[in-house]
Amino acid sequence: MNYFKNIYIAISTLMTGMKLTLGYFVRPREYVTLQYPDEVWPIPERNIGTGELASYNVIRSKLHVDIDDCIGCKKCERACPVGCISIDVLKGDKGEDLGVTKNGTSIKLVVTKHQIDMSECMFCDLCTHPCPEDCIYMEADYRFERNDNKRKDVTVKERWRDRSTLIYDFAKIAQEDVDARTAKIEEENRLKAEEKEKAMAEKLAAAAAKQTAKADAEQTQNVKADVETTLFKTTEGGES
Amino acid sequence: MIESMANWFLSLTWFPQMELASVKLLSVLLVGAGLFAFIAVNAIVLVYVERKVSAFMQVRLGPMRVGPYGTLQTVADALKLLLKEDIIPTLADSILFRVGPFIILISAIVAFAAIPFSPTVTAADMSIGLYYIVSISSIVVVGIVMSGWASNNKWSLYGAMRSAAQIVSYEIPVGLTLLAVVAMAGSLNMNEIIIAQGGSSNLFHWIPLPLPNWYMFNNPFLFIAFFMYIIGATAEINRTPFDLPESESELVAGFMTEYSGIRWALFFLSEYANFTLVAFLTAVVFMGGWQSPFETIFAAKTSLLVLLALALAWTGYVKTKANRLSIYPLAIIGLSTIAAWLFPGFAIWITEPGLFWIAMKVLSLIFLLMWFRWTFPRLRVDQLMYVSWKVLMPIALFNLIGVATWMWLTGEIQF
Repeated sequence: MNYFKNIYIAISTLMTGMKLTLGYFVRPREYVTLQYPDEVWPIPERNIGTGELASYNVIRSKLHVDIDDCIGCKKCERACPVGCISIDVLKGDKGEDLGVTKNGTSIKLVVTKHQIDMSECMFCDLCTHPCPEDCIYMEADYRFERNDNKRKDVTVKERWRDRSTLIYDFAKIAQEDVDARTAKIEEENRLKAEEKEKAMAEKLAAAAAKQTAKADAEQTQNVKADVETTLFKTTEGGES
Repeated sequence: MIESMANWFLSLTWFPQMELASVKLLSVLLVGAGLFAFIAVNAIVLVYVERKVSAFMQVRLGPMRVGPYGTLQTVADALKLLLKEDIIPTLADSILFRVGPFIILISAIVAFAAIPFSPTVTAADMSIGLYYIVSISSIVVVGIVMSGWASNNKWSLYGAMRSAAQIVSYEIPVGLTLLAVVAMAGSLNMNEIIIAQGGSSNLFHWIPLPLPNWYMFNNPFLFIAFFMYIIGATAEINRTPFDLPESESELVAGFMTEYSGIRWALFFLSEYANFTLVAFLTAVVFMGGWQSPFETIFAAKTSLLVLLALALAWTGYVKTKANRLSIYPLAIIGLSTIAAWLFPGFAIWITEPGLFWIAMKVLSLIFLLMWFRWTFPRLRVDQLMYVSWKVLMPIALFNLIGVATWMWLTGEIQF
């Protein structure tokens, strides 16, 4: 009888399995697969802060900078433990209106480069706190892929080692503007330096003239003494 | 079919007047090429279907990227396989290694010669068709053992040995179940077996349902024999509950481990050819082949009504179980019922063409085997032997006696 019981158990369990798979087969719309580049999972809006930090609900996936609000204070660059932020600033022109941040601070410096190397970033969130304008913050967007590394002149190996897709430059200012500003500042600096040099030269010349006048007076006064010293000069001389 | 094709060629005015023998040879070549094309296209389609079916059963999507809904995926795969490097291991037996896949493929293709696609489309309507198919398709094991041995690889050898043991074991219950049908039909000719299953549904049957007069429903013994044949056939074509010869998780790929490129593609092609062959054989032997399940248009209409009721019941069941309404089968059957009722001409396709009906039967059997594959876990070697020798064999013998008794009781044979 065990024999028939075995056959019965085999058939009934197989039927159970077949019922299950058919159930899934007839409703294929229940699939969980997402066609990734076309559709993505929604990013969960979670709250990871409590108490005072209740508003702190950031999923740290990518650093972002609102460059319009950046005043170029370089506090984030200094705060970064791994040095993945590099900022270059230039002085604005005299009297130029560079805009106002959302906190009402007027911007004094032109940020020509605000580069974040996300391949070095360790997502510690330390750079976001010192920012006086709250313009650098972590985003929840986890997608770093970009389609701009299709250069033909690099080999595959180089492309694999290439991190340039992970380096984000947030500065919006155009290169010509940067060049113009740099040239202007250099010109200014040069003019200033020239002026300074001229002033220095004049000063020096005045001082030298004074010196010579003084020296002349002294010379006439000390002719006698000079004669005496030359008379008694030793071999180690040359002090005059 | 060859004769009629040759005569048709000779009846054409523009056709050069050749001898009958050469025209017959031409027809044979054309039919062979047609069968091969059918098998190749069929394999490409079935691989796609199998991937989709498996995906849906596992709550996945399956191929979606190549072509609309991934329909060109298998075409791309086939191209890739054709372009791949053909590697033959240094220590392999070069000749046997090359010949093995071809023997398997040829045995699969040649068996299609006796398959009746429709009353007129039968490549070779031979009087021993069933016997021919059973014997030819068991040559597969020679090719499998050959390629497994020639690969000079322990996995290949294990796979080949398992395959030999399995196919030899399962030939016997399969043969016995087919023998029961042959006893009923009194013929080994495939078309005669199909014709013997004709006739409209019989309400005064052992199952009180308007079922067609197929051997599957003919008597309780053959009903069991049908399922036993399905099990045995699954084992013979090495599909999943019995895929020990190529068990992926144990033997890498069994006897195909060392093969790559076009030779591996030949294995795949012959696997799906055998798969289709078994489905055709089941359809012919147990499910009435190219016969329509409805004899008359009236029967077609009433049967569609019954199907509609069944679809309604199924929909209600799904609704209560899963709180979800699956309208598609209901809609299809309902629309065809209304169409058949309003326009009797519409119902002719339900009663007339054989190709449509055999295709429907074969496709549903193929789906059944795919369903098996993606549901059942693999058997152990000793369980495999147990099922064959201790379960299928005695029940098949008992069935054979039972069928003979049934025939004696119903007066089909007298002593």
